[in-house]
Amino acid sequence: MRLDGVWLRYRRHGPWVLREVDAAIGPGEVAVVLGRNGAGKSTLLQLAAGVLRPSRGRVTDRPATVGWVPERFPADQPFTVGAYLAAMGRVAGLPGPAADRAVAHWVERLGLTRFHGVRLPQLSKGTAQKVGLAQALLRPPGLLVLDEPWEGLDAAARELVPELIGEVLAAGGAVLVSDHRGETVRLPGARQWSVAEGTLTEAAPTEGSAVAVVELAVPAASLATAVARLRADGHQILRIRDHAVPATATPPGRPVAGPPTAEGVSPERPGPAAEVSR
Amino acid sequence: MIALVRLRLAGFVRTGRALAPVLAGLLALGVLYGGGRARPAEAYGVSAVVLFPVLAWQTKILLDVEPDVQRRLARVVVGPARERAAGLLAALVAGLAVVVVALVLPWPIGGLTPAAGPDGRSALVGVALGLWAHLLALPAAVALGALASRAITRSAGYGVAVLAVGAVGFVVLGLSGSLVPWLVPPVMATARAVTGPVAFGTGLLLTGWAALWSAVALTGYAWGRRTRA
Repeated sequence: MRLDGVWLRYRRHGPWVLREVDAAIGPGEVAVVLGRNGAGKSTLLQLAAGVLRPSRGRVTDRPATVGWVPERFPADQPFTVGAYLAAMGRVAGLPGPAADRAVAHWVERLGLTRFHGVRLPQLSKGTAQKVGLAQALLRPPGLLVLDEPWEGLDAAARELVPELIGEVLAAGGAVLVSDHRGETVRLPGARQWSVAEGTLTEAAPTEGSAVAVVELAVPAASLATAVARLRADGHQILRIRDHAVPATATPPGRPVAGPPTAEGVSPERPGPAAEVSR
Repeated sequence: MIALVRLRLAGFVRTGRALAPVLAGLLALGVLYGGGRARPAEAYGVSAVVLFPVLAWQTKILLDVEPDVQRRLARVVVGPARERAAGLLAALVAGLAVVVVALVLPWPIGGLTPAAGPDGRSALVGVALGLWAHLLALPAAVALGALASRAITRSAGYGVAVLAVGAVGFVVLGLSGSLVPWLVPPVMATARAVTGPVAFGTGLLLTGWAALWSAVALTGYAWGRRTRA
């Protein structure tokens, strides 16, 4: 799939959200879209998925089957999980029995079995997000577009996302994923697209650019010093959390009270990442 | 696309939001047929006029009942053209159900007389003309409702404004002696026409007028949706 000179603004005479974006992603490739809040990551992903139409430029060679996982699954619908997924399978062109088989597979795979008969508005955010993942995978996608897919997911499901991405890549699909929590360290070898000031830049690939997360415990009194030292050494601090609370239970994007913990990775250069805690 | 039509109709019915336009339609029909027995063609002509804003409102509700993100998911899965068409088709199906009720309901409640009128026109001919009048109104009402939907107007206030202006304009500009009757679908003109013998040319003109108006309005909807996911 290729974006050629794509510009986008949401209304005539409005500000340009994206300007002169050129990018391409091929089968078996995964790209992580990075950028601060409001930079245009979701806009870029929606252009790639076919939700939005470029104001200028064009998107070409988009695969026939696209799976899009929006940042927030629209749970305000009067269907049960099973009925919704079956209906979406049929909308995607799967015949009835095939749709039912696909639904059964993904419901089981994503741990939604006990929610099969639950109405969508009654789901928690994380469970609804799993339904969003399932609907995008009912037909094997040639392009999978994931907008903050880790948001609200529990630990097991967070681990599952890279696995699912790997399966799509292995099947010859391409994957675009946005992330602001540093979860994409789970995708070693992914291309990195940065969106800032309406433009897209791709970090040059480097040998051994894979990163890892290391957890460290530091005394609370020297936390600020430790964090500053890690940053000075080129590591990226992902988050700070309470050592008493398991990392997977930490509310996303919100430091917890009490003795803090920090996670860090270093995407800037090859080498280890650190999660610092105490 | 049929699966998407079914999904949208199911959402429309299950949320209970179908109830309001249905009740409004039944109320309008009750008032219309509550005064005694009328001859089918004339009564059905007025029925089509009365139901026009109800059908447009129903279309807006049907299209708006789906969350915006779900509409975009459907767009990704089936493509923009089919997603738009599925919404319109679902609205047409829901509107057809209302038309059937509007044609059938007056008989059991004694609102229509099966006797031939002074002009010798049978009740069957009257029913056929009534069906024609309603089928002329339906696509135009769906088009108006679609133009008032949230996907186009992006806000509840503008949506209601489009619907209200459309409904009022439909009546005012459709009155006999209007300077610009072509600005609105010919539902009022059809209601006037069916009170007497309808010449073939008149029928063809009204049908073409309604089809053209609906086509222009639906093209406007499709054009507006190009940049409004």
